[in-house]
Amino acid sequence: MVAIVQVPAAVPSTADTDAVAPRSYLAEVRTRFFHNRAGVSAVSALVLLAVAAIVAPLLSPYDPLIGNATRRLLPIGSAGHLLGTDEQGRDMLTRLLYGGRLSLLTGMLPVIVATVIGTAIGATAGYLRGPVGAVLMRTMDMLYAFPAIMLAIAISASLGAGVTNSVLAISVVFIAPISRVAEAATRRVIFLEYIDAARLSGASTACILMSQVLPNIFNPIFVYASGLIGLSIVVASGLSFLGMGARPPVPEWGFMLNSLRGAIYVQPWVAALPGFLIFATSMSCNVMSDALRDALDIKDA
Amino acid sequence: MTLMLLRRLGMVIPTLLGVSVVVFILMSVLPGDPLAGLLAQDATTADRAALKHSLGLDAPLPVRYVRWLGDVLHGDFGYSPYRRRDVSELLGAAFSNTVRLAVTAAVLGIGTGLTLGTLGAVMRGRVMDRVVSMLAMTGISVPSYWVAILLIIIFSATLKWLPAGGMHSAHGGGFPDYVKHVAMPAFASAFVSVGVIARMTRASLLETYSMDFVDLLRAKGLRGWQVLWHVAKMAASPVLTVAGLQVGFLLGGSVLVETIFSWPGLGQLIFQAIAARDFKVLQAGVLVVAVTFVLMNLLVDVLQLLIDPRLRKAA
Repeated sequence: MVAIVQVPAAVPSTADTDAVAPRSYLAEVRTRFFHNRAGVSAVSALVLLAVAAIVAPLLSPYDPLIGNATRRLLPIGSAGHLLGTDEQGRDMLTRLLYGGRLSLLTGMLPVIVATVIGTAIGATAGYLRGPVGAVLMRTMDMLYAFPAIMLAIAISASLGAGVTNSVLAISVVFIAPISRVAEAATRRVIFLEYIDAARLSGASTACILMSQVLPNIFNPIFVYASGLIGLSIVVASGLSFLGMGARPPVPEWGFMLNSLRGAIYVQPWVAALPGFLIFATSMSCNVMSDALRDALDIKDA
Repeated sequence: MTLMLLRRLGMVIPTLLGVSVVVFILMSVLPGDPLAGLLAQDATTADRAALKHSLGLDAPLPVRYVRWLGDVLHGDFGYSPYRRRDVSELLGAAFSNTVRLAVTAAVLGIGTGLTLGTLGAVMRGRVMDRVVSMLAMTGISVPSYWVAILLIIIFSATLKWLPAGGMHSAHGGGFPDYVKHVAMPAFASAFVSVGVIARMTRASLLETYSMDFVDLLRAKGLRGWQVLWHVAKMAASPVLTVAGLQVGFLLGGSVLVETIFSWPGLGQLIFQAIAARDFKVLQAGVLVVAVTFVLMNLLVDVLQLLIDPRLRKAA
């Protein structure tokens, strides 16, 4: 699986500020992002998938849970079933649309949870340094010593199967790398004058962290975390594939891919469909993350 | 230099201890009754307590941890009641199968990744570069379990060229038979590594190509491949780190790929242990994976020190 490679994150630079027509930093970033054709198409694909998952009942006349036993494993392009039917005679297109709800959610949530917790840990450790910082970061190192997927599987096994537990497991896995990025970024800003200024004007540690440090370490963390979403979706669906995440009957791509394994010799391309959506989502997330990095002009986050 | 090596080696011990604590805690809070499969239907509460005591499960957690760690350090991983075998015996067999798969996948993944990444960097901005970038992006995004299923669909279900699982045919068949069995799982495991390594190789080479010394080499009249040789030496370090991580992942065995192809390695052993609540095997399996990963990272760091004089100076 993809490595969570650790490279020190750079503080964003706004080197090419236009002398003639000064524009806000965000406007600059937005323009750069929307000039990136790959990035724009990736975001469009993700929005399309998410919207389709949300309004699935409006798009499909079928029930995602109830199948027709006489119409099992129809091929792609059958009349009335554009993408065929699964091993219980349920419409594939419908199930893929509904499946996006859980798959996208279990992919996104761990990254959000881990970003909040990891940033808090990393920024605190980076700002306080000393024994507290050392204890925090060495604890993170212990989690870092496991291959990501194996750790997610081990935590899931110990918590038991289920969507909530798999989200928790993946969140724990991502906390360590995010806290490292946050710590490195914090260490780079704490010696800058504006932090001294805040300290001299009497601001408390918590206040400095929230109002001075956080906005200035946000970009590298944001870019790094966005790069984890694709991996998160692959791992979350992988856990369901192993029967440790989402449980039937609610459709979820990873679980669908596993339950259709028995149909590989009957309707191979129908059996491959859920995997294609996991791949397409993960790829779109990675392309989007690359575009974000270019737009924010971050060298290595 | 020696001091740096020693310092790096010294760092491994607390890491390994930390790993053992994490593994022990994870497996001690495992849901389900560890005694469930061991007691007879008509067992009394007293039988239960006696069994619990004989397994040492009634002691407090820290005591159990120290006992467990002591046993592990003596190479004793306990006995699996589910498989009726010693855990170390099971682990040994599974690990050697995983190593065979990992080595094949690593050679395939690193070789292809390096070649593609170099091609991309040398032909920067041309069609070949675009193709390499696309392939690399696909590699880092694609779920290995989907690659595995696609391979089975293409080569087993449709073309009927390769067997869909296992490590040997029932009737044997020597080396060609083994190659047929290892091809698909190795490719499925290697695909991600190809993406990661190609991306890093291309990026690292391009960054080095933009340095001033390259202009000097060109001005001296060196040929393209001679320049590439100088650049490659400079660019090797980050690629080595990433490649080492990938080998670490591969040596840990992929639970998903091994399960799909019924490859009798560590990943499959761990997955079956989860399903059977065979917690001794699970505990030992996860520990072996993590320790392998830590040692692999150590090896990479030591190699870095040996090949990169800049790191040695930093000491």
